[in-house]
Amino acid sequence: MMGRAIAAVLALCAGTAFAHEIATPKADFVAPAPGSYRLEKIMAAPDGVVLNTEAKPRRLSGYTRGKVTVLSLMYTHCSDEKGCPMAFYALQMIQRDLEKERSARDRVQLVSLSFDPKHDTPEAMRAYGGELVGAKSAVPWHFLTTTGGQALRPILSGFGQDVSRPAKAAEDDTGDMSHVLKVFLIDRAGFVREIYSASFLMPQVVMNDIKTLLIEDGVRVD
Amino acid sequence: MQRIDRTRAALLRIGLVTALALGGVSALTQRAAADETCNSPYMSNLIKGQEDFIYVWTLGVQGLGDGADKLVTIDANPASPTYGKVLRSVSVLRRGEAHHMGFTDDRRFLWAGGLDDSRIYIFDVFSNPAKPRLVRTLEGLPGETGLVGPHTFYAMPGRMLVQFLSNTNDHGGVTGMAVFTNSGDLIRTYAMPTGGGGDGYGYDIGINPNKNALLTSSFTGWNNYMMNIGQLIQDAEAMQRFGNTMVVWDLKSMSPQKVLQVPGSPLEIRWSLNEGDNWAVAATALTSKIWLIKQEGGDWVAKDVATIGDPTQIPLPVDISITANGKGLWVNTFMDGKTRYFDLSNPEKPVQTYEKVTGKQVNMVSQSWDGKRVYVTSSLLANWDKTGENNEQFVRAFNWDGNQLTLAFEVDFTKERLGRAHHMKFGSNALRAAHDDGGADQPASARLAKEER
Repeated sequence: MMGRAIAAVLALCAGTAFAHEIATPKADFVAPAPGSYRLEKIMAAPDGVVLNTEAKPRRLSGYTRGKVTVLSLMYTHCSDEKGCPMAFYALQMIQRDLEKERSARDRVQLVSLSFDPKHDTPEAMRAYGGELVGAKSAVPWHFLTTTGGQALRPILSGFGQDVSRPAKAAEDDTGDMSHVLKVFLIDRAGFVREIYSASFLMPQVVMNDIKTLLIEDGVRVD
Repeated sequence: MQRIDRTRAALLRIGLVTALALGGVSALTQRAAADETCNSPYMSNLIKGQEDFIYVWTLGVQGLGDGADKLVTIDANPASPTYGKVLRSVSVLRRGEAHHMGFTDDRRFLWAGGLDDSRIYIFDVFSNPAKPRLVRTLEGLPGETGLVGPHTFYAMPGRMLVQFLSNTNDHGGVTGMAVFTNSGDLIRTYAMPTGGGGDGYGYDIGINPNKNALLTSSFTGWNNYMMNIGQLIQDAEAMQRFGNTMVVWDLKSMSPQKVLQVPGSPLEIRWSLNEGDNWAVAATALTSKIWLIKQEGGDWVAKDVATIGDPTQIPLPVDISITANGKGLWVNTFMDGKTRYFDLSNPEKPVQTYEKVTGKQVNMVSQSWDGKRVYVTSSLLANWDKTGENNEQFVRAFNWDGNQLTLAFEVDFTKERLGRAHHMKFGSNALRAAHDDGGADQPASARLAKEER
């Protein structure tokens, strides 16, 4: 029953209202064509143990290799419209656009990985993902968390993701966290090839970057 | 309860949280429009209120203290009992022509460079903002990159873009940029363009993400910036070896798009921070001009829009600081020791409205986000600073009421036996990292290991 209620809310918000609530940064330029530039190997994406929405422990590398991956580090309570909600929106746009790309869509996956395991249990991540969890999309979207700080710390360190809980938020137990929004583009071999922060997270640019990596792999993109 | 949480999670996810009464949750994921007011747009944690600290990258002076370059921390909070006092000095134990600094995107680390020894020092400024700590030194960069003199440190998402001033071949002005991970690992280098009117020189970096535009300026090479200024001025050939260009790059592809002719060594670049503005300004050191860089009909152009002082007297504009609303510009001129204010309401016609002699020699100028406080340092380069009694070395803090600068405090870097005060960055106690351990772990690794077996 509640699942249907959530679906109804999402459906209501998926159109114009949604677009009004969240906006990605304005791209006032013509992005260079896919394959016309090179994305450098910035670093190897870290590995570690994560939990999927079924609370099953899995290697993170199982979700970051073999396909081009767009990975968002996030937490579900984030309320900054230029933060995690914007990343979610951007990934949704990317998934929607990729599903139309016959040659690309089976070669890309999306990941939302929480850095707040205290609150973001596998169940909370399943609720956060809603109908996207396990959906039959050519572009799968995985919602992951960790068991706690010990599992999380090396992953955050490996990605260079800052996360802190301001003293006041900890005191008031509001769940607020401070972090720089970061979304990572990872190639098939597990190397981070681009990092997008709030000023830089433009879905069309991300799409071109994904295609650039696919072209590098010899894929003929549309 | 679980149902409520699930619904709330869905609402949060779709960005409707602001419509809900969640007890005034603050927006903590910060998107930076700019630093206080001169850094990378990718940097977070702007200090929009009162800064607590001024970090000063200071050139060592032989015979003064330990004679080494150092990062000096000054208390800048008027409410503090140690206001205006030096709190800490971290020596790097050698002298390498300390010059500029820049924060990483998360403002946790401060990178500082030496123009002579080409070292980069990485300081942790978040564990305890009052007590920066040297955590890594990058050595051997000339051999690794072919570049000399790391100058501008510019935050990119998850990495640092560094503009160098010179090269290992001839120590001239042809140079390049290098990009590093935030932890200091080299990713790759980019040569400054020498074709299409480019002189290959470099100095500052400024990025406009909305335009996918990276703008660079040009100064001079090691042979000149390490030369005694008196000798340099007499050397007509050496005086020809200054940059006269700015370059517009395609940021995504890191490829030069257009070389703009901007004669007289354009130095600091400041994009307007006003929403919707897509123009930048730069000042030329040798010709004493303000240049406007903008698009006209889709084409990038550079326009000489104002004169700073009397160019025949070579006032030598060395640093600029733009206000957060893009309506004003501070300009420091080294030779006459003046701090000048230009009204930028019409960026096509900046008008000087104020000036004050703030020192016998002045170099960097930095303002708080609200524009109420302006800080000035004294040193340009070790071999270019004035001598004798004109060689004042200081940080001076001023309050700005919109009409005049009033001295708030001063730190005499010679009396304190610190050295030559050069570049400044702000710090805040509010940026001290709160510990968050993510909670206790469940034994999932063991379960996974069992499954994998």
